[in-house]
Amino acid sequence: MAITHEMAAGMGGIRTAGDLVARMQMTKGMKIKDAKEYVAAKVGVSTFDLCDEAVMKEVREQLDIGHVQARVGASIGMEAKFNIARVLDMKIQAVENFKRKTGM
Amino acid sequence: MSIEDIIAESRETILQCDQARAVAVAERAVAQGFDPVQVLSEGFSYGIRQMGDLFGRGEVFLPQLILSSEVMKSAVVILDAAIQGGTPQAKAKMVIATVEGDVHDIGKGIVVSLLKTQGIEVYDLGRDVPTVKIIEKALEVDANIIGTSALLTTTLMGQKKLEDELRKNGLRDKFKTMVGGAPATQRWADRIGADAYAEDAAEAVTKALALLGR
Amino acid sequence: MSDIFTRYGDGSPTRMSKEDIRFDLEEGTRDAADRGKIPALTEAELDRLFEICTMPEKAVTVERGDEVVVSFDAGTLKLPVRAGIPMDRSTAILTHERAFCSDTMELGHVDYSYKQLKAIIHEECQAMEHIQLNTIIPVFYGAMPNLGLYTKPDGPIDNWSELLPLAKIAEAKAAQEEAVEHAVKDMVYVASRMYESGADGINFDTVGASGDADVLATLQAAQILKEKYPDIAIEFGMAGEFVLGMHGELYYDGTRLAGLYPHQQVKMAEKAGANIFGAVINTNSSMTFAWNIARAVTFVKACTEAANIPVHVNVGMGVGAIPVTNTPPVDAVSRADKALVEIGKADGL
Repeated sequence: MAITHEMAAGMGGIRTAGDLVARMQMTKGMKIKDAKEYVAAKVGVSTFDLCDEAVMKEVREQLDIGHVQARVGASIGMEAKFNIARVLDMKIQAVENFKRKTGM
Repeated sequence: MSIEDIIAESRETILQCDQARAVAVAERAVAQGFDPVQVLSEGFSYGIRQMGDLFGRGEVFLPQLILSSEVMKSAVVILDAAIQGGTPQAKAKMVIATVEGDVHDIGKGIVVSLLKTQGIEVYDLGRDVPTVKIIEKALEVDANIIGTSALLTTTLMGQKKLEDELRKNGLRDKFKTMVGGAPATQRWADRIGADAYAEDAAEAVTKALALLGR
Repeated sequence: MSDIFTRYGDGSPTRMSKEDIRFDLEEGTRDAADRGKIPALTEAELDRLFEICTMPEKAVTVERGDEVVVSFDAGTLKLPVRAGIPMDRSTAILTHERAFCSDTMELGHVDYSYKQLKAIIHEECQAMEHIQLNTIIPVFYGAMPNLGLYTKPDGPIDNWSELLPLAKIAEAKAAQEEAVEHAVKDMVYVASRMYESGADGINFDTVGASGDADVLATLQAAQILKEKYPDIAIEFGMAGEFVLGMHGELYYDGTRLAGLYPHQQVKMAEKAGANIFGAVINTNSSMTFAWNIARAVTFVKACTEAANIPVHVNVGMGVGAIPVTNTPPVDAVSRADKALVEIGKADGL
């Protein structure tokens, strides 16, 4: 079912910009249109391109915010989340915890 | 007062959960010589089915539904006595259970409450009941109907198991069977060979009465 | 002529004429409008819905640009538990992130109720901390309010499911009110700990499964959490299309909870501080897919129009026009998704 929903209507997660738009819905309670516009402006693409795998691959690699394909030296997990928090100008609780624990 | 007025007022007393008025209407109906069966079926029973429908739409709530069934019971005592000329009628018996592996019984509880208002003696075995226990109880009390509920797609097969076990033991013709629950349908009832399917509590009453030939 | 392949609400395949499909669409929207006292779909919307229902493709998708966010309830119960794949929860979440490309995911325990989690909260916090180090997508922590667990024999309170059939209505109501107090404490405690451990959001799942008291407890818990942590993300996923009145006289901010439909429920969730509302519309297994989807879209459209927060329509098995069967067919699932997003204007699923 997860795959069917993602294929039929989903944004595509870290393959595209689904996780980023989700974060704006979750933290700011933005409706889908506003959330897409916010993210599109922050990452520098059109809202239409947010679900384009080819466009977003380059954007994600350039911003180093994690991508579905593992690459040597690329940010993953917490590292990517640090970059997402910066790019989207938002607080991520786990990132804040990491900073606190490491004295950053 | 005409029979139409009596019927309309009977329905109202159920919808308004007005016990004193229900008793008064039933007594008046008997005193005026109206057919108690008609007053029961077209008046009070109709009212209780309306309550069931309203509950299914979220327009009345469980406490009101329970109260209305209590009101109905008070009226039934009076009308039953009149039907039998003072001799209590032999009650139809129904064994009901949520099938094995399934612990959902809110809906079944509502069905039980409404069935009781119709003068049916209901043996509620609760939830997560093995098929063999359902059959044992039905034999013990000489039930007319066995009703089973299943809320899960994974437990729905319990209703088929009951039909299979009844057939295997030569008991299928001894009881009428009814099925209900979210994944159950009339198509499912037909496939497994159940005698009736009911979508909600109000329909369960109608179908049970039909199976009993009332 | 019976020429269109479609299904019933239990997933059974069937063929229907175009006229019958159109009739069921009209009946479905009429039923929703009648029950919810909301507008029925317009002729243009019914025309579009008819197109979606009768498209010859096995699977359909939303148009480019209309994609929405997908969130999950019972997240880590799906692969390791229901599918029986021997993997830990952390692996399940990474599988969703990197293989399924899910937009979000949820960490949940197999004993999926806030009450049960108190005793194992340390292990759950630890799991969340580990998962947060490795994941990129936002991860909710989720469980059910499940007020029934506070009643005997599982809890200290008299069981209202036993009291009500005995017509002990005052006692049943008092028991539910008492359960609300216990549940609020547990939900606030568990959600606080999980948020402090790095959860990106808290999912209250299947709200209202035990009736209106279940809803009241969750609203109160959400309100307390929002006051305590203004940045906390809360998803409020419902149990059914209307709030079941097990009590009948419980109010939140002056509004009676029993009997509320999605477009009214979402306003309560907003007041309590929810960031995402999970609307639920029950699938009727006896009726056709056309009837069910018209009904679901009608309720969802009214809900999204009323909402100021995003609405994620629940499209699990048995809700949102998804058939009541363990393996919901792709044709029905994809059509439901497309219709709910394009016509219902869902912000997510």
